[in-house]
Amino acid sequence: MSLKLNRAVEEIAVATCEKAFPEEGCGLLIGPIPEDFDKPGRSVLIEEARPLPNGWDVSAKTNRYLIDPKTLAKVEKELSGTGRGVVGFFHSHPQVPAWPSPFDLTMAMPCCSYWILQVRDGKMIDSRSWQRTEDGRSFVEEEIVLEG
Amino acid sequence: MSIEIRLPTALRAFADKQEKISVTAKNIGEALEQLFSRHERLRQQLMSPEGKLRSYVNVYINEDDVRDKQGLSTLLNDGDTVLIVPAIAGGSAVADQELTKAELARYHRHLIMPEVGPEGQKKIKNASVLCVGAGGLGSPLALYLAAAGVGRLGIVDFDTVDESNLQRQILHDTPSVGTSKLASAKKRLLALNPHISVETHETKLNSTNAVDLFKKYDIIADGTDNFPTRYLVNDACVLTGKPNVYGSIFRFEGQLSIFAAKDGPCYRCLYPEPPPPGLVPSCAEAGVLGVLPGVIGTMQAIEALKLILGIGKPLIGRLMLYDALEQSWLTLKVKKNPACPVCGENPTIKTPIDYEAFCGLKEKPTVTIPEISVQDLKAKIDKKEKFILLDVREPHEYEIAKIPGSTLIPLGALPERYTELDKSAKLIVHCKMGGRSARAVSLLREKGFDATNVAGGINAWSESIDPSVPQY
Repeated sequence: MSLKLNRAVEEIAVATCEKAFPEEGCGLLIGPIPEDFDKPGRSVLIEEARPLPNGWDVSAKTNRYLIDPKTLAKVEKELSGTGRGVVGFFHSHPQVPAWPSPFDLTMAMPCCSYWILQVRDGKMIDSRSWQRTEDGRSFVEEEIVLEG
Repeated sequence: MSIEIRLPTALRAFADKQEKISVTAKNIGEALEQLFSRHERLRQQLMSPEGKLRSYVNVYINEDDVRDKQGLSTLLNDGDTVLIVPAIAGGSAVADQELTKAELARYHRHLIMPEVGPEGQKKIKNASVLCVGAGGLGSPLALYLAAAGVGRLGIVDFDTVDESNLQRQILHDTPSVGTSKLASAKKRLLALNPHISVETHETKLNSTNAVDLFKKYDIIADGTDNFPTRYLVNDACVLTGKPNVYGSIFRFEGQLSIFAAKDGPCYRCLYPEPPPPGLVPSCAEAGVLGVLPGVIGTMQAIEALKLILGIGKPLIGRLMLYDALEQSWLTLKVKKNPACPVCGENPTIKTPIDYEAFCGLKEKPTVTIPEISVQDLKAKIDKKEKFILLDVREPHEYEIAKIPGSTLIPLGALPERYTELDKSAKLIVHCKMGGRSARAVSLLREKGFDATNVAGGINAWSESIDPSVPQY
């Protein structure tokens, strides 16, 4: 079970989250939709990280992020029929570790990868990726494989 | 009306990988129902058990959010496209939060008291309390804690509202009879104070889930009505180091104390053994004056707030007895018992036990699962015996402490992931203390695996074999 990405993709996500500090940064992870997307143990290959504005209201941007559903719908439409899709999301946890919070779990979709980057004092110091179980009760960590 | 439904990438796997699905329907509800009748797994992903759209699901007709129209009854026109779009949101665990302008106005009467003030109110906002039970005691307790602004209020219950509850359980109302107590409680509490978050745990508190659940809160408030749960709450509070704000009621009398606080006595120090089953009738059998839980639950709320604020003299080491007929309060001193089996000097209870059996409510189970000690496990590793060491805890626990060479599959994921395991191999299963792994062993044995439990889990391993493995 893994999240595969190259350095260029990683750099975009890291730069987005470091720039957003002390607020949370976020964005979409785009790649081919795996045949076994809903199976535990599946791997996803990320071809593109697309940063998006944090749509949460100003009161809690330091510990909340929101991706505008309309923007997501637009990107899904753009990818329609290409075999590619939004297969995951990245967001940062300013200061605190890259473990999913209870709120992350409440809001998580199945199948997708949730790549969380811990940014401390403006620098990314750790990142981990997670997949929600189908029953929605927990996250399972997946390996991050950097290629190229 | 012929309608096209479009699914996001994340959900297509539950609809035979289709992106667009055509249905014929008059309104959104009908269209979704048709979608679910063909793809049942989608229903669980999109709808709550109460039949409402889950919080992270947005449904659009062409460009418009149906929440801005008539929700599931929004009418459809021929050729409309229905988009299902997840609201992607999340975030880190809440760090210390400042008071907002609206909160400064709401909590004015607290803010002008020097004992609370803005600093105290911030403490309340950043505090978390778990109410065990949303019944007679839980009602005033949760209502007052919500009104006071406790930032995270957890409630654990698994019951539905019964008409006979309404004589005292003021969290619920007549229209909510027959619905889940948690749903009714959450609605009421958020209507009272939208600035807090209410976390509902629809489960029967038991030996396996109590410790993990209690760890997430600062204070536990016991509003239960039976002995097995009362002892469980006490033991889990001692084991997690969380204070137990205790209340109980019977006919015209109530009890109140704080147990398991640092250096204070616990419930077992006061009552080492439960009464024989049947000796003490329950409220359902003996009745209770409806206002009584209002008195005791409100006092529990006061004690919880005092603990949060660090003010006054909390009711640690004192038991208050209330008699409504005499209108009298009596305060007794309760001492910590050095021989207490859970909080004493040499505790014998190190993990939650089977409380139904302890309270004599059932025969001890005769079916047992195979179990080995951590010493046996160490010997097997030293002898290089072939087996898979399976760890069924959560990833964050694995990160804190692990036994080298183990494979991690959390218990919750096991029903889906057991197929990854080699059926011919011998499995030795552990968790933190032996409870979850026992459930995993039962499940794996049902599936035909040769699985054995490690008694005491990784904590016993740390205690007896390798002290460099942290206990948590």
